[in-house]
Formats: sequence, structure tokens, C-alpha cells
Amino acid sequence: MAFWLALAVPATLMISALAQGELAMDLLHPSGELSLRLLVIALLPGPLIEFFGANRFLRGWLALRRNFGVAAFGYAALHLVFYGIDMGAIAPIIAEFTLPAIWTGWLGFALMLAAASISNDAAMAALGRRKWKRVQQGAYVALLFSLAHWVLLDWSWIPAVVHVAPVIIAWALRFVARARRKSSVKGTA
Amino acid sequence: MTRKLIASALAATALFAATPALADGDIACKSGPKDKWQPVTKLKKAAWMEGWKIIKTEISGDCYEVYAHTESGQVVEAFFHPVTLEKLVVIRRGSEIYRKKGFTG
Repeated sequence: MAFWLALAVPATLMISALAQGELAMDLLHPSGELSLRLLVIALLPGPLIEFFGANRFLRGWLALRRNFGVAAFGYAALHLVFYGIDMGAIAPIIAEFTLPAIWTGWLGFALMLAAASISNDAAMAALGRRKWKRVQQGAYVALLFSLAHWVLLDWSWIPAVVHVAPVIIAWALRFVARARRKSSVKGTA
Repeated sequence: MTRKLIASALAATALFAATPALADGDIACKSGPKDKWQPVTKLKKAAWMEGWKIIKTEISGDCYEVYAHTESGQVVEAFFHPVTLEKLVVIRRGSEIYRKKGFTG
């Protein structure tokens, strides 16, 4: 509960800034970036736990993973609301939907929506582990599309690299762990 | 211990990664000293003459920058020369849709 309240603080600040006359346009960056960061945080504990083993810190992080993921979707939705306010009408939104800088964002959002909408135990049981996992893995594709969305809008590579780096490092560690396990299995056989 | 440190460092990187400013500061207007610049009200008029509805104006490097809705509802960011108030570059969602002939800044 306290965790959710903490995650809601930035949203509250953004919405109250909007109410006090801040331009929706100026809230696009903070909401989009926070969404991406939460998504990265949700993607890290899985591979990290495979490398570091299940210590208390990582187990705690893993237990919160779903919350981080759903919160990432929440901020993406808020980002979309700000976008809608900034655009002011449906027609121009549709008109620019085909621009690469825009549809990449929509696709990232759609994938996060899919993952978030089944982020509960009931959906997991109903879908079966494999199918459920497949949809959740869409979060990685969502990350890539969101980063593309950002790069295509701002033409600045550094933020994209900074955000994707932890995920790449975590996966590199995961592969190291897997390779080690394989070689140790061979060694004992 | 080291492992914990690395893990915390990764988490911290994800959370507090620096956020570089918008990358549109790379348009140079070569506009000279600011006391020779036209006032922002004239800039607003120039944008209004385009038929645009202004969202906001700001100074970007040595250029005037206007965020606006065009007549057809497109959201654009445009760079104006602060002295001549000429429209130099117009960007729509990250792609350049207008550049004044011969302008290379």
C-alpha cells in the first residue's frame, strides 16, 4: 500500500502542475521518462536473480516486479493523456499516427497495456504459464519501441543508451550465469 | 557484498539516470547580441501570421523557438531568427518539414 502511494506521488505532482497551468506539453517528458524507468526496473530483477542468486534484496525486488510493471503502464497512460490534452482533438492525433516517432510510442503503449491487463494471478492461471509469459515478455519489445519513440522525437542517443544499458548488462550477466551452469553440468557428468 | 553493490548500482542507474535536455539546441541562428533581438511580441505576431496557434515560445540557443498548432492541427516546433524574425526551420515530431532555402545553421 505504502509502495503504491509512493509510486503515485509523481503522478499527483504532475496532475497538480497541470491544474496550476503547466502546459501538458511540458509534462510529456517527465511522464514518459518515468514510465520507461519503471519499465526498466521491472525488467531487471529476473535476469539479475539468475546471476546473483536469490538474496533478500533481489527477492524483494522480484516480488515488487509486477507493481513496477503496472506502474510503468500507468505512467504511459498518463503520458498519453497529456499528449491528448496537448493535441486538443482526435483528428490531428490520427493524422500524425503514421509518423514513425509517433506510432512507435503507440505500439510500446499497446504492448504495455497487454502485459498490464493480465498482470494478476487470475489471468496467469487462466492463460497458462507459457502464454502468460509470452505476453509479459512483450515488455522488452515495449521498451525498444519506447526508446525508438524517444530517439525519433529528440534525436539524442544518450538517454536511450542510458536506459537500455542496465537491461543489456543484466541480460549479459544472465547469459554468463547460464553458460556457467551449463559448463558445471558438463563437468559433473 | 560486491554483488549487492553492483545490483544497487544498477538499480540506482535506472532510477536516477541523468536526463539530458532536449536535443533541438543544435540549430544555430547566428543572431548576435540579444539587445538587437526583436521583442517576443513580434515573434508571436510572426507565428500568428503563419496562421498558427501558439502553445509557447522560448529561447533555444541563439534562436527563438515557437511551439504551435498549425491551421491543420499539426503540432510543430519552429525556429525563428531573433533579429529578422524569418522562419528558418520547422520540425514536426522529430522530422524537419521546412527549412528556409539556403539556411544551413
